[in-house]
Amino acid sequence: MRVNPNPMPDLMAALNQTELEEQQAELQISTGKSVNEPSDNPTAAALLIENNDQATFNSGYLQSISAVQGQLSTASSTLSSVTTALQQALSLGVEAAGGTLSASNQAAIANQLQGIQSQIVSLANTTYEGNYIFAGTKTSTAPYVVDSNLPDGVDYVGNTDVNEVSIGNGYKIAVNQPGSQLFSAPGNDVFLAINNLIQAVQTNTGIGTAVNAVSAASSYLSAQTVLYGNATDQTQSETTYLNAAQLQISQQQNTLGGANMAAAATNLSQAQTDNQAALAAISKLAQDNLFSYLT
Amino acid sequence: METTSNNVANTNTPGYTREVADVTPGDPVEIGSLSVGTGVVLQKIQSLRDPMLQIQINQATQQNSSLNASLTQLQQIQTQFASDTSGIGADISNFFSSLQQLSPDPSDLTLRQGVLTAATTLATDFNNAAQSLQTQRSNVDQNVVQSVTQVNSLTSQIASVDQQISNLQSIDQDPGTLVDTQNNLIQQLSALVGVQVIPTGQGITVATSNGTTLVSGSQSYALTTQADDGVQHIMAGTEDITSSLTGGSLAGLIQIRDQEIPGISSSLDQLAAGLSTNLNAANAQGFDLENPPVKGGNIFATPPAGGVGAATAMTVTMTDPSLLAASSDGTTGSNGNLANLSAVADQAVANGQTPIDAYSTLVGQVGSTTSNTSADADASNAILQQLQDQNGSVSGVSLDEEASNLIQYQSAYQAAARVVSTVNLLLLDAVNLGMDEAEE
Repeated sequence: MRVNPNPMPDLMAALNQTELEEQQAELQISTGKSVNEPSDNPTAAALLIENNDQATFNSGYLQSISAVQGQLSTASSTLSSVTTALQQALSLGVEAAGGTLSASNQAAIANQLQGIQSQIVSLANTTYEGNYIFAGTKTSTAPYVVDSNLPDGVDYVGNTDVNEVSIGNGYKIAVNQPGSQLFSAPGNDVFLAINNLIQAVQTNTGIGTAVNAVSAASSYLSAQTVLYGNATDQTQSETTYLNAAQLQISQQQNTLGGANMAAAATNLSQAQTDNQAALAAISKLAQDNLFSYLT
Repeated sequence: METTSNNVANTNTPGYTREVADVTPGDPVEIGSLSVGTGVVLQKIQSLRDPMLQIQINQATQQNSSLNASLTQLQQIQTQFASDTSGIGADISNFFSSLQQLSPDPSDLTLRQGVLTAATTLATDFNNAAQSLQTQRSNVDQNVVQSVTQVNSLTSQIASVDQQISNLQSIDQDPGTLVDTQNNLIQQLSALVGVQVIPTGQGITVATSNGTTLVSGSQSYALTTQADDGVQHIMAGTEDITSSLTGGSLAGLIQIRDQEIPGISSSLDQLAAGLSTNLNAANAQGFDLENPPVKGGNIFATPPAGGVGAATAMTVTMTDPSLLAASSDGTTGSNGNLANLSAVADQAVANGQTPIDAYSTLVGQVGSTTSNTSADADASNAILQQLQDQNGSVSGVSLDEEASNLIQYQSAYQAAARVVSTVNLLLLDAVNLGMDEAEE
């Protein structure tokens, strides 16, 4: 059979193909990615977008967690300070209840108790990054205003709302407790207890009952610290989980779209060899035909 | 020898088919009881070509050009969707992540500004993507117009060559190279548009695959273009044949212009419209930071009705970060409504899918369309190459063959010359016969 006397188009196509392969291998090596365009692997390209979405969310959760942890630890240590102050008030109350003190000493204790009272008010008005953390969601104004006309000596102007923050996909935790449930909870009102104690010491009547009330309020408050402790624990374990998840996502990203460097390097050298072979074939071609032998 | 030198000269002429001299022995003459040959007669010079193969090559060229034209455009389109860490997909993720980061401290103006910045980036990337699709579409549109001009130029050339061929055929001569030229023109035409070539008594008829006649014998019919709905439609007389053209780069370009780009644009529009509408609705459920707090207004401009052009029109109309409605009860510390805004990430905003799913599906579709077209184009390249090889084996000029012919002709010439000189000598002897005797 007669063969096509002009193999040049075939050779050029082969040359083109080897150059294309060279380029692809070089691109993979230089970017470290096997999916440089959606057409390289459409399924992987789509999955990589979902993957990046989850990675972005996870790093967002991690940032939220670190912001939340600051607030939680401020709240928790504030509650501890209030508890410590209440312990001081308790021992003062017990001292006053002994009945052996002079009137001026009683008055001094009452003064000290008033100091503790205003210390607790200021602790209950603690801010974190400019926000009052015990005001419910009315974080722009101090939740406790001193008002001596009220039985507990303070007026709670916050609200009872609780903010929740997502720290994982569909995983939310409460990040604040309103003061109305911590310091002025009905039945365990810290301010009422301390105010009653001050009055009891001042009038030297019913100190024992008042001390018991302070003790009860103090225990209640200690119990509430657990809420913050739990939340902090949750954020810590979620941080561990998220970091592991991020690692897994980046591994997945590598599996989906990362270049196999060894394979890419082999492909490159293979393509280069092919390319040289094609070039050699083209340059040898057409040097010889029967005309060369005609004399 | 003339044929050989013509073949050698045209070795690299596109479309040239080799010619052979068709020679037959001359009619014998009867001399008495003897029949004596009268040498050789050159009947004609015959071009060697396989018409079947020619048709197959034209068809393969039509398919190949269509696929390659589509592929070039698709590869350009997909560069916009190439990155998983930037572009619309990453912007959507970053926007919802910025809402998430605002939730621990919902009154923080820096974090609120972060949300608006992320929203602006998202809107800008939607604008850019829609805009470059639009630009590409109008480039393709210009290509279509240019292709139509080329088609018209080719059809008029084919018609005029056809006239010359008929002239030659009418005086019973082989139009040889003219047919080569015509075939070459038809092949060029096939690269532009799918055509059928029907030989008739008077020359050929070239018609598009839907039956619009482009050339009939020596008469060509020009196609025109007419603007309609923002793009140029292709008209044969008063008939719009835009959507009925198949094959050739023209069909590939029209496919991109009228199907692929509008499809992708509409997906982007739906996504942009869905995101804008749902986020605006979510924002309206909450309260902003103003004193006294008011219900949230629009974050994005209201998308056009039906969503057409939403990606181009998407803008962030909210300029003051304190207007973002994070609060569900009007207090500055509440983050209750951020949950509603974040929930949009899980709502079906476009095509029954969540924003990121809708976008990743679009990327997957663009990718697989491109990769399928690329595979088809590779296959079609191989087929075309194969056919051209076959055609070359029939019609290609082989220098070896021509050289061997030349040697043959040379020997034949030498032999003929020898015959002549021998006859000449004999004749001389015969003429001198009497002379010698007379001298003696």
